[in-house]
Order: sequence, then structure tokens, then C-alpha cells
Amino acid sequence: MGGKQGSYLNAFRLNQVMEPVEDRSILDKFCMEFCSLVEKHVKYIIVSGFVAIAAGRKRATEDIDVIIESLDKEKFIRLHGELIKNHFSCIQSDSANEVHSYLKDNLSVRYVRENNEPEMEVKFAKDVLDNLQIQGRIKIPLTGIDVWFGSIEMNIAYKEEYLKSDKDLEDAKHLRIVFDANEEKINKCKELIRKYR
Amino acid sequence: MRDATHMEHVVRWARFVKENPTKWKAQHTEFINAIYEKAGSALDKITQMPGGKEKMRKLRELRIKAASSR
Repeated sequence: MGGKQGSYLNAFRLNQVMEPVEDRSILDKFCMEFCSLVEKHVKYIIVSGFVAIAAGRKRATEDIDVIIESLDKEKFIRLHGELIKNHFSCIQSDSANEVHSYLKDNLSVRYVRENNEPEMEVKFAKDVLDNLQIQGRIKIPLTGIDVWFGSIEMNIAYKEEYLKSDKDLEDAKHLRIVFDANEEKINKCKELIRKYR
Repeated sequence: MRDATHMEHVVRWARFVKENPTKWKAQHTEFINAIYEKAGSALDKITQMPGGKEKMRKLRELRIKAASSR
């Protein structure tokens, strides 16, 4: 069995023998706590650096990138309120209206909880590409954390085709090795990126 | 551009993750947690230095400014 399906099944087998809960890192716990709140209100995906880190890449990050479906103001106010109730705060503003207007302008907003923790960088899905990623979201048992991720192939494609920094190319290399990523799917993702970004 | 040996290390570690499903996570968690604990400890020390609270306030303002301009 090859390709994506084989890789994920392999990851699942790895997870069966791997994951005592105490092995979760500060980043894992922070991400799971944030996502468990977001999940009640909207579909989301974790993308970019934390996908690689959760899959074992050994590097630091100051933020975890999250794309959520675009929400109208009323629904967003409920989500924001739930985050505040659970001790998250938004760096840009305390006002849900203002935070919503940032997101509607396709800007990211950052939620934090304590000084020494990372930030959750949140964006609304802004185009076909983001929405496709949300529709095709996956869980990755190898990571040991119960959150939704964008596909491995799309994350590799973004890093190799769009972001291209040393750090991103190293993330992509890590993901390619760990998941035996499907080259054909990566190339299709790269075509989509060239079309929409 | 980073030294080529950096990518060699990335590849070596990725293979370790793939080939050692019961070993990588504990090492990884220890590494990730240490980064945040070390950073937290440094920030605490800065806060306790003369003018430290003001420095922390400026750092926070810079963080907000950077986040808002992205």
C-alpha cells in the first residue's frame, strides 16, 4: 500500500504504541485547548509550522497558525466570548467587533493566554484554496494530538512553492520523510497555489 | 542560507522519528518544553532587572504593533 493512505495508516499504527498523555508538550497542550474551544463554533485547520512540529520537527515557534471558516459578526462574537471566558485574550483588541473587522479584512489576529506561551494566529479562510483545505482537513494520529490539520501534501506544497525560507524548506523535508508524501498530490497542490496565490 | 549540515541534521532526525515511533515523542517534548521554560525564565529575569518592567512593556507594545501590521 503506497501514497497518502498508506502513510496515514502507518502513522496510525505508530500511534497505537506511542502516546502516553504525559508526553505532550507545552505546544501540544496549548493547541489542543484552543482548538477544543474553536471546534464548538466553526471548522478550523492547523497549518504551516506546527504541522511539522507536531509531527516531530525539532524547532521552536512563536505562533500556531489556524485558519477558520469565515464567520458573521454574531457567530464570531460567540466564539470570541468563549475564548475570553477560558482565559485567552486577543493581542490586537479586547473588542470582539474590532477583532472581527480585522479578520474580515483578511488580517490575522493573535490569541494568547500567558506571557510564556505561544500565540494562536487566527485567520478567516479567504479564498478557494483555504476552503478546500478546510474541506479536506485531517487528523494525524502520529502527532498524538486530537486537532484538525491541513493535508500533509498541501503543507509541503506551501512551504516549497510559496514560503520557501530555509525554515520552511526544512519543515517540508521533515514532512516528506516522516509521511512518505505523495509527489503527485504535492504537485497538484502546487498548481492550485500558483493559481490562487 | 544555512550550513548544509543543518539540513543533514533535519533529515537524520526525521528518519529517527519515522524509525523510532516509541522513542521520538519523549525527546521531542523535552526539547520543546525546555525552549519555553528557558524563554520564560529569561523573561522573568528581565522583569526583575532595573527598568525591567518598562522593557517588558515595550516588548509587549512591539509585539502588538507587529501583530497588527501583518
